[in-house]
Amino acid sequence: MEDKLEAQIKNVMSAIFDIPTNQIGDDASSDTIESWDSLKHMNLIVGLEEEFDIEFNDEDIGSLLNLKLIKLFVEEMVTI
Amino acid sequence: MRGLKYSEILKINKKLENHNELYAYDILLLSNVIVHQAKEITEYTLRKEGINATVELGDYDNIVQESQQQKKLDAVIIFWELSNLIDGLQYKIELLNRDEIDVIEKKIKSEINFTLKNLESCPLILINQFSSFQFSSLSIGTNNLDNLAHRLNSYLESCIHPNLKLVNLEKIIASIGIQNSFDSRYYYSSKAPYTIEFFKAYSQFIKPFFMSANGRSKKALIFDCDNTLWQGILGEDGFNGIEMSPETKNGAIYREIQSIAISLSRRGVLIGLCSKNNLKDVDEVLASHPDMVLRDEHITIKKVNWSDKIINLKEISTELNIGLDSLVFIDDAPFEINLIKEQLPQVAVIQVPEKLYEYPNTLRSSLEFFYNLSCTEEDGKKVEMYRGQTQRENIKHDFSTIDDYLASLELKVIIHKDDTSLASRVSQMTQKTNQFNLTTKRYTESEILKFIHNPKITIYTFDVSDKFGDSGVTGLCIVNRNNGSNNCILDTLLMSCRIIGRNLEYALMNYIVDVMAGKGVQTIQAAYIPSPKNMQVKNFYESCSFELINESGSVKNYSLNVGNCSSKQIEYIRLIDYGR
Repeated sequence: MEDKLEAQIKNVMSAIFDIPTNQIGDDASSDTIESWDSLKHMNLIVGLEEEFDIEFNDEDIGSLLNLKLIKLFVEEMVTI
Repeated sequence: MRGLKYSEILKINKKLENHNELYAYDILLLSNVIVHQAKEITEYTLRKEGINATVELGDYDNIVQESQQQKKLDAVIIFWELSNLIDGLQYKIELLNRDEIDVIEKKIKSEINFTLKNLESCPLILINQFSSFQFSSLSIGTNNLDNLAHRLNSYLESCIHPNLKLVNLEKIIASIGIQNSFDSRYYYSSKAPYTIEFFKAYSQFIKPFFMSANGRSKKALIFDCDNTLWQGILGEDGFNGIEMSPETKNGAIYREIQSIAISLSRRGVLIGLCSKNNLKDVDEVLASHPDMVLRDEHITIKKVNWSDKIINLKEISTELNIGLDSLVFIDDAPFEINLIKEQLPQVAVIQVPEKLYEYPNTLRSSLEFFYNLSCTEEDGKKVEMYRGQTQRENIKHDFSTIDDYLASLELKVIIHKDDTSLASRVSQMTQKTNQFNLTTKRYTESEILKFIHNPKITIYTFDVSDKFGDSGVTGLCIVNRNNGSNNCILDTLLMSCRIIGRNLEYALMNYIVDVMAGKGVQTIQAAYIPSPKNMQVKNFYESCSFELINESGSVKNYSLNVGNCSSKQIEYIRLIDYGR
């Protein structure tokens, strides 16, 4: 379940940032992915929301800047 | 299309991108809000149809300025969002009186007018009609925002000409619902009002314009007969057994279908029959059945026989001398529909829905296949009627040059120097500004505070406003005089994308040069450090008469001899200087 979820997140990130999935490591963040700017961040958020049929809390969106944190939040929301 | 997720669209769009053997179709998207997601979604929608579209996004809130560009374009799409005509209009407008609203209305009308004039030679211009839905759909009365939208829409209609098409935004919003169209979160944080779902619906809605512009509209609608034009099977139920009378429930539906076919034939769409029947029987119905409204005179081609529909459709295509991809075929039998999908995938097919009451709207929704950009007679009349009106408006509102337009904005820049209260904003701007940023150096707030307290380093901030509102601190320059008193270095020079396109950069450069001259500086050094996003300023220093000294790697180093500098003053930008 967990791995599938991570794969799904990476797949969305790969589409949004236009990089191959295998280049998205576990430490992927806005520091390691060059194209991760504020507009792409917006795309990522709405892309993930659509993918998992969730809605992030407005206050959290600004800090979801790495894969680990994103996974944590998505996990929590999809298992509820 | 609606089934595909945004991330899937992005991936497929990327794959479709490389069909470079096709003629490239260039679309420029101008907007006064953030709509960047429309780019890939629109490209995908059109590329799926074989149109090799590339959508270029204009700079944020630069519709008027960018309409002046000279590049050859195939189409322009304009998102002129009501609520951002001036920042926060949706609440400000309810506090304004009629005169104040008039000022705004006049400004927008003249901007529309000027923009459309600039785009005159573009073959296709789509502009969204104004809508107040996002804010006032629940209010029982008509408020100021509704009224303004209404008046601006009347104005847009008065501007109509053959290349200009108005996009009925409210139909699109209605098709998916207001809740699904808008994202208030991103409206308030980033001026990005629309959802992904909206852009998907939008791109579908405008697709027919582009199909027509690329010669891909359908030209002929071919009907099966039994259970498609009438209820029943003629060969079994007989002349009197088939049903299309408006007096019965299902009959009324077939009457509607036939009437839609007639209206299409009046618009120039070719109507044909392709049916397994005896020709004599069908001819008799067409000639003399009292409940028929579709008659022989409406029908261009008939293939009524017992041979295969594949063969018949091919013959129709040959005889009418149009491609198979210009045909739309309607049948009730899944077998026939699937056969054609498989054997003649170029032909568009419509299956009569199982729930018969959905049939008229199913047919209607596919009428856009036949959409034709060229003027209908009615459009033609409208054009003449409106022409006189538009000319009068022209005299009232026209600007002849971009400078006139910029002058009408009454631009004002307030300059502060080393203001500690702005340190956080300054740091944020160095972190976030990508496009108009000559060196892209990122600084933390504490670094900025150190600069402010260093007497050799000066930070100038620019607060830009015009008669319609204040953009706040949106430009800055960090000047370093560590290298001796007659020399300075421009460490950082940047402007928010919200204020580009107004020649402010030249006014600001003049100011800096002026101040430095006053301090006895003789040489100003500067550099352009390229980043993935700051291409637009790569020749900025050249345009300010700096001399290129050398290029080390990709960095270009410049110098300006202050004594020799003869800068052109920009009269319409008022500088209010607290910086000296």
